[in-house]
Amino acid sequence: MAWSAMKRRIALVPGAVLAALTGACAGIQSPLAPASDQAFALHDLLILMTAVCGLIYLLVIAGLVWSVLRARQHAKRAAAAPVDDSALDRSLIATAAIIVTGLTVLIFGSFLADRALLAARAEKAMMVRVTGHQWWWRIEYRNAATGRWVETANELHLPLGRTTRVELASNDVIHSFWVPNVSGKIDMIPGRRNMLDLTPRRSGWFRGACAEFCGAQHAHMALDVRVDDPVAFDAWLAGQAEAARKAQGPGEALFALHCGSCHAVRGTPANGRAGPDLTHFAARRLIAAGTLPMTRGALQGWIAQPQALKPGTAMPAVPLRPAEADAVASYLAALR
Amino acid sequence: MLIVLALAGCSQEARRLVPGPPQTAPNGNADPRIPAYQENLYQISQGGRYFAWYGCSACHGEDAAGPANLADGDWRHGGGFANVFAVIGERHAGQDYAARTPVEQRWQLTAYVRDLSRHHAEKRRRIMLDQKAEPQGSAWLGPQ
Amino acid sequence: MIPDRAHLDRLDRSWRDPPGFWGFLTTVDHKRIAARYIVTALFLMFLAGMLALDMRWQLSVPENTRMGPQLYNESFSLHGSTMLFLVSVPLMEAMAFWLVPLMLGARNMAFPRLGAFSFWLYFGGVLCLWIAHAADITPDLGWFEYPPLSGPAYSPGHRADIWAQMITFTEVAALAASVNVAATILKMRPPGMTMARMPVFLWAMLIASIMTILSMPAVMLVTSMLIADRLVSTHFFSPAGGGDALLFQHLFWFFGHPEVYIIFVPATGFVSSIVETFSRRKLFGHSAIVLSMMSIGALAFGLWVHHMFAVGLPRLGNDFYTAASMAIALPAGLQIFCWIATVWSGRLRLATPMLWVLGFVATFVIGGLSGVMTASAALDLQLTDTYFVVAHLHYVLIGGAMFPLFGAFAYWYPKATGRLMSERWGSIAFIGIVGGFNLGFMPMHFLGLMGMPRRVYTYPPGMGWETLNQIATLGSAVAILGGLVFVANALWSYRHGQPAGSDPWGGSTLEWASPSPPPAFNIAYTPVVRSLTPMWDEGPGLPAMDGLGLDRREVLITSVTAAVPLYRQKSAGPSIWPLASSLAVSAMFIGSIFTPWAIAIGAAPIAATLTGWFWPDRPRAGSDAPSAGA
Repeated sequence: MAWSAMKRRIALVPGAVLAALTGACAGIQSPLAPASDQAFALHDLLILMTAVCGLIYLLVIAGLVWSVLRARQHAKRAAAAPVDDSALDRSLIATAAIIVTGLTVLIFGSFLADRALLAARAEKAMMVRVTGHQWWWRIEYRNAATGRWVETANELHLPLGRTTRVELASNDVIHSFWVPNVSGKIDMIPGRRNMLDLTPRRSGWFRGACAEFCGAQHAHMALDVRVDDPVAFDAWLAGQAEAARKAQGPGEALFALHCGSCHAVRGTPANGRAGPDLTHFAARRLIAAGTLPMTRGALQGWIAQPQALKPGTAMPAVPLRPAEADAVASYLAALR
Repeated sequence: MLIVLALAGCSQEARRLVPGPPQTAPNGNADPRIPAYQENLYQISQGGRYFAWYGCSACHGEDAAGPANLADGDWRHGGGFANVFAVIGERHAGQDYAARTPVEQRWQLTAYVRDLSRHHAEKRRRIMLDQKAEPQGSAWLGPQ
Repeated sequence: MIPDRAHLDRLDRSWRDPPGFWGFLTTVDHKRIAARYIVTALFLMFLAGMLALDMRWQLSVPENTRMGPQLYNESFSLHGSTMLFLVSVPLMEAMAFWLVPLMLGARNMAFPRLGAFSFWLYFGGVLCLWIAHAADITPDLGWFEYPPLSGPAYSPGHRADIWAQMITFTEVAALAASVNVAATILKMRPPGMTMARMPVFLWAMLIASIMTILSMPAVMLVTSMLIADRLVSTHFFSPAGGGDALLFQHLFWFFGHPEVYIIFVPATGFVSSIVETFSRRKLFGHSAIVLSMMSIGALAFGLWVHHMFAVGLPRLGNDFYTAASMAIALPAGLQIFCWIATVWSGRLRLATPMLWVLGFVATFVIGGLSGVMTASAALDLQLTDTYFVVAHLHYVLIGGAMFPLFGAFAYWYPKATGRLMSERWGSIAFIGIVGGFNLGFMPMHFLGLMGMPRRVYTYPPGMGWETLNQIATLGSAVAILGGLVFVANALWSYRHGQPAGSDPWGGSTLEWASPSPPPAFNIAYTPVVRSLTPMWDEGPGLPAMDGLGLDRREVLITSVTAAVPLYRQKSAGPSIWPLASSLAVSAMFIGSIFTPWAIAIGAAPIAATLTGWFWPDRPRAGSDAPSAGA
């Protein structure tokens, strides 16, 4: 802790300038607005590296400009003066020393930041498994008390101030889990399990994205992330654990017939695993991994023709009569 | 050699990711829309993915025997495109694939299934391995 | 010794190519082969640049509908593959082909027919990729197609195979070219040019060639494994089948990282030559620069994991690669110091080639420093796969390789054509390209830090990315306009440029001793070298050596370190066998995209053409008195 405090003091002035400039650009999907211990460690490292590298660049340009001006002056001389490079030899050694020193500082700073990312590894943490699919996220929470798994999709909730351990896997190709405000990215590789610790310190909504090219709709594979205080989080998780309430109307049966091969709604016959779990679909903010807002119009448009909104997506366009489509949309809109 | 490549590759590799028009069932085995699916590698591979997702591989897996073996080229009800299409929709008693699978996806499934016998068993198995991620449907026993 | 007309005529008769189209097909003249490489690569650079402009237009507006995902994915894959495999490395090889014999006072390269073969095979790779694009079978998974996405399940058809075979073409061509360049530099130096008296440019080409030879096999292996997975159902990269998706990444990047230094190291050679000439003093820190190049060459092989920091490898290993990746900034930084020191202590003449060197320093150092930032394993977790790293890679490749290349082009253009390029239009092109490039790519650092991932065909509104994307598009357009001005200048100056003698810039190295443009035999006598800067140190006449035959093709072979003359080598003349062999090899490579039998069947024509190539040439094999003709 003392080292990181000292680092912050060293980088204070240029860091403050940079932070002021960049803070203006920071948003809900940016490493410049850290919201967790891990993101803070990386942000500090970014400031340190930008300051050191910026200084080096200014020195190089200053040297270049000085050399050009001096050499243009000397160009007016007709013949070459005898060359004595001893001063330059000494400067070469000095430059090497400066470079080595600068690099050592940066290597050391990087090493410490890397250790900071793993600082929470020894703690007990809630386990969440996130599995990447083309082009959506399966999210499974492990309830430590009951040992049971609660499944949802595309919207990740995290408790404020507590460490969550995310286990990353992939169903098909290589994806990458990246919520910049909360941590750096880790790839999701078929056949491997990678782990990532997250300790959020600020509540709110953040946006993540898949950060490894995974096919046609890599651009539309966003992750909605909500950080809540622990009480609200526990309530949310308890709600997610329940099966869907029994619905009235023909929507449930139509859904199970036309959509249940790929989608699951717990408590109904629909138990497909190929697509996202929709048990509490309407409680989410976005549809189709961040592609569309959760509105009735967007939902009906998505069901009617997904290829128009996310071309290449695996979800087929299911031909439904208007009354049937209305019934299914109403059914889904009630799945809170 | 390169000219041959150019000519042969044209439509086989085409990959148009746009919404298609609403589909109807094929009009017999010579429907002119058939080559756009049967000869197109993208449509066939999409059929392969739906084959797993709609649960077909539960019965028609790699080592399926007898009538469930789709790779032996032995078609009990005729091997033409429309024949196989009809079998998927109508001859799987109790599965109601006609209602569960949209028409366009059934075109893709038909193209995939008819293409299976053209490949070695190793190739089919190799593709299955990459797509073998999680069990589907009622075979799901919880996360492992 | 001033050669008389008869001397020059006999040399010309031995060394010139057959006339017409047959001469075009059979030439083994290193200058003509290099010119072909350069023209082809520059045209491909233009095409790939157009793809880039298209992508930038698509990204100027959120949720833009100009390009769908399939077209965009094809565009960035084609842009990256073309620029890295078909433009950058071949251009550096071409400059080596053209300059190395001239700078050595030699008549041709060590293996003339191998040089022709490497061009034809490279051209086969160009056709493989671009005819596929014309037929709409463009590879669409990026310039490094990671499995399982590029495996048989998720990438049906032949797009990924075409990409993989294009690599096989270009890598065999690069291996052939590198062996040629390395052998020429090691064994064909002029008498007296010990390794200590070898100009930095030649060191750069030697080191780049050795790096190529050591790294290319890795990429040929990995793309062949990918093709095997797809064609004959092996399981190299299939986790469920016992393979490992990460194996591809390790093997690819073991090649991929040295590849970018293979592109950078020759550029340092160009910069060294230009700085020495235009500062009008001997390059400061010759030993430091050469040792730095060697360290870069060696270190480059120990850095590849920095492309895989997000993959989840053991932490301590990641920290090692962080240290190694940052350490390579030391030799690079020392080189920059030495160049700046040379300028500082010299009498600067600020012509277009020197402008490009200044642009190089100002731009490449930004790329190097953003590289130091991404070298940190921890920070890279935020920066990799975003527009930050797109900015970094373009700064180092364009700033670090293309700007020196443009400078080299302007510098050696008068030697190649006998005319100078226009200084005024050269400056305008410089301002357009360097200004436009920085305007276009500096915003991308910020886009990455604002969270924009790479390889996305569109992005949602409301992220705050619009303005910077539009600035990037504007800058790219300006840079391309500058590029067009550069090309127009080159074309116009070919006929209307101010005539240049053999040494318009007052250069220090031997290529300035030959006429401009050099005749087919390059130089009438073999120069003898007594220092690092022979053209400056030897006064009005270069010492030279006579004794090479005039009536047949002969080159001088010298020893590796001390450059003591050993023997005269009979150099190969024009031959159709390089073209024939490359056609046979191309047929086999393209066939093996479709069937493994192509390897067995294709071996027969290759064996036949190679037999023709190596068939003993009775007049060459004898050691009696030379007869007329080759």
